[in-house]
Amino acid sequence: MGINWKGKRRYIALLMLIASIAVFLIAPPVVPVVQLPGEVYPEGWKLFGVLSMPDTGLPMTNTMMGSIIVWVIIGLLTIYVATRRPSSGDEVPRGGFYNLFEMAFEGLYNFIGGIAAGPYQHEIFKVFMTIFLIVLLSNWLELIPSVDSIGFLEPHYEEIVDEETGEVIGEELTDGFETIEILSGVFHLNGKCEWISPEAATELTPEEQQARADRGCVTGTGVELPPPVLFEGADDHGDEAAHDEEQGAAESEEAAPEGEESAESAEEAVAGEAEHAEEEVHIPIHAVAAGDPNVPWVVLPYVRVPSTDLNLTIALAIIAVVWTQAIGFRALGIGYLGKFFNFKTIFTSPLGGIDVAVGLLELVGEFAKLLSFSFRLLGNIFAGSILLFVTSFVFPIIFPLPFFILEFFVGIIQAVVFGLLTAIFMNLATQSHDHDEHDDAHAH
Amino acid sequence: MESEALITLGKAIGAGLAMIGAAGGGVGIGLAVGGAVQAMGRNPDFTPTIQTNMILGVAFAEAVAIYALVVSLIILFVL
Amino acid sequence: MSPLESLGINGGYLAIQIIAFIVIYTLLSRFIYDPLAKALRERRERIAQGLEDAAAAESARKNAEAERDNILREARAEAAKIIDDARSRGEEVAAQIEAEARADADKLRADARAEASQQLEQQLAGLRGQVAQISVAMARQLINTEIDSKRQQALVSEFFSKVPAAAKGMSGKVEVVSAMPLDDKEKDQVRKQLGADEVTFIVDPSILGGLVVRGQDRVIDGSVRSGLSEMAASLN
Repeated sequence: MGINWKGKRRYIALLMLIASIAVFLIAPPVVPVVQLPGEVYPEGWKLFGVLSMPDTGLPMTNTMMGSIIVWVIIGLLTIYVATRRPSSGDEVPRGGFYNLFEMAFEGLYNFIGGIAAGPYQHEIFKVFMTIFLIVLLSNWLELIPSVDSIGFLEPHYEEIVDEETGEVIGEELTDGFETIEILSGVFHLNGKCEWISPEAATELTPEEQQARADRGCVTGTGVELPPPVLFEGADDHGDEAAHDEEQGAAESEEAAPEGEESAESAEEAVAGEAEHAEEEVHIPIHAVAAGDPNVPWVVLPYVRVPSTDLNLTIALAIIAVVWTQAIGFRALGIGYLGKFFNFKTIFTSPLGGIDVAVGLLELVGEFAKLLSFSFRLLGNIFAGSILLFVTSFVFPIIFPLPFFILEFFVGIIQAVVFGLLTAIFMNLATQSHDHDEHDDAHAH
Repeated sequence: MESEALITLGKAIGAGLAMIGAAGGGVGIGLAVGGAVQAMGRNPDFTPTIQTNMILGVAFAEAVAIYALVVSLIILFVL
Repeated sequence: MSPLESLGINGGYLAIQIIAFIVIYTLLSRFIYDPLAKALRERRERIAQGLEDAAAAESARKNAEAERDNILREARAEAAKIIDDARSRGEEVAAQIEAEARADADKLRADARAEASQQLEQQLAGLRGQVAQISVAMARQLINTEIDSKRQQALVSEFFSKVPAAAKGMSGKVEVVSAMPLDDKEKDQVRKQLGADEVTFIVDPSILGGLVVRGQDRVIDGSVRSGLSEMAASLN
């Protein structure tokens, strides 16, 4: 706080640049596995290696972890603002961030006041602001280096499903990468070496084997691999972490000791291996030591942007649409339904039939809103986060910066659009058609 | 293995084709914003009203593009 | 896998997100939105009030300025008047003082002149006796006769104050020039003989003796000097 950063920031930037080059040389980035649903944390994971999560039936996912981070940030913000808020009549400046928050708050308050003036203005603003905060913070999580890139080191396998019975009959090791241990217990994926199975390795030509060996690979070089290292129950092996420095800007290395397997799961896996050993190439994945070259590895990020999970976007869309109907009913009473079931003019007007059809279309539109709200946000942010790590993979130094700036603004715009559309729909719901024209005539 | 690769190929092509629909949304948004900016240039006093309606229109136009995105996501991840 | 599952949609997560939204909404409403909106409203009202007050103060200030200008103008006019008064009075006083000073100076000068002429007359009066004695002594030498003092006195008196015959019975203002200052008795006598209304006596030793009487229109010269010059002319 007391340090005068003026003029020193350039050195920080320079240091970051050097650090990013160093990290790029040590641990070149690897394209992560793209998957729409949130990745499920491995069983038996612990927070900071200590806190174990109660078994709720809902497995923890990394998008959920992102949401939890957003909630914590909002909680801290609430505490900060609530403790700093001036008492009535007191106009002492409260410090830079508080003033910034208040300025943004006042600006948005007046903005919504201009769109939805009336008795429901305050409530509409509150819904708008809450949606705005949650969506904005969720979107901006993608800008934080290490989100989407630091996570559990997982052996990559796919379940083999029996086509007739639909039962899982085994696990198949698939695409993944070899790992390099850069610190004790900290691994990063070796982007130059795709893992290949021993069978596939036998089909390689000597030239190809030599090429792989030149790149520092272990598998597929004709070298006899040591047998898989299986965990012992008491063994302290839990430190599984992979570094996939996606971001060009350097980020402090973080070795998070998470993902400790219990002895039971290891034993179960060993038992499982015995059962399926003859039918399939099956290695008991939870029992393999981290970084073992016998299996392909992928990174399961600790945190993923929650806006890329449909659960958040659909939840927000449901809230926006349901709340809109609630405000409509409160403002217009049962007459609100007349908007959708418009039979008033069916016999009096030659276009009465069209009015009925329009009303029904509005009803369908309410459900379409659910879809468009949720997929607009998801589509923008999902595409954005893919854009960010693809640019980081292509060339991680300096090159991704413009895209980070772009995503910064996309985050704001999507948050504003989500909240603003909600506010507009709510404002429309509070106005009946008849009153609308009447008010217009009155105002002019 | 062959059939799986074919399925992946089909999914990719299908998803790509589905996203052509997004072009319509893009054109619509461009028209809406262009019209709104012209209107605001001619009549700056009504900027807030125009802006609100523009955002509404853009949202509806974007919805079409999003339907395309949904179809493409379903092709890729659900089918 | 159902389509919803492959899109990652899960009722549990949805419920958690919705509940979280409601909780966040409630907390933010309670601790941020409501108080802050209230504070903003109050501040806006206070600013409006302040602006109103400022407008009132502004008009009051304008009034005060006008009043101040008025007062200043009046004061300035009064000051100018006072200065004018003072200047005119000062000039009057100065003129008075000057006049007094001039009068004093005139008086002093007149006094000094009178004193000077008086002194001159006194000296001449002193001289007159000596001149008379000298001339009597010279005449005794010439005629060898005794002249008693009374006779001598009459001679002298006659010498100096003999009014010419032609001058008797003159009227109006008359100037009488004598060689020596005449005493009061002689003056009375001259006046009586002349019979004039106003007689001014002037001393001019250059006429030596006798009297020159200057009337308004003529001069009768009965001076010794003219007699001597006549004598000299007849001698030549």
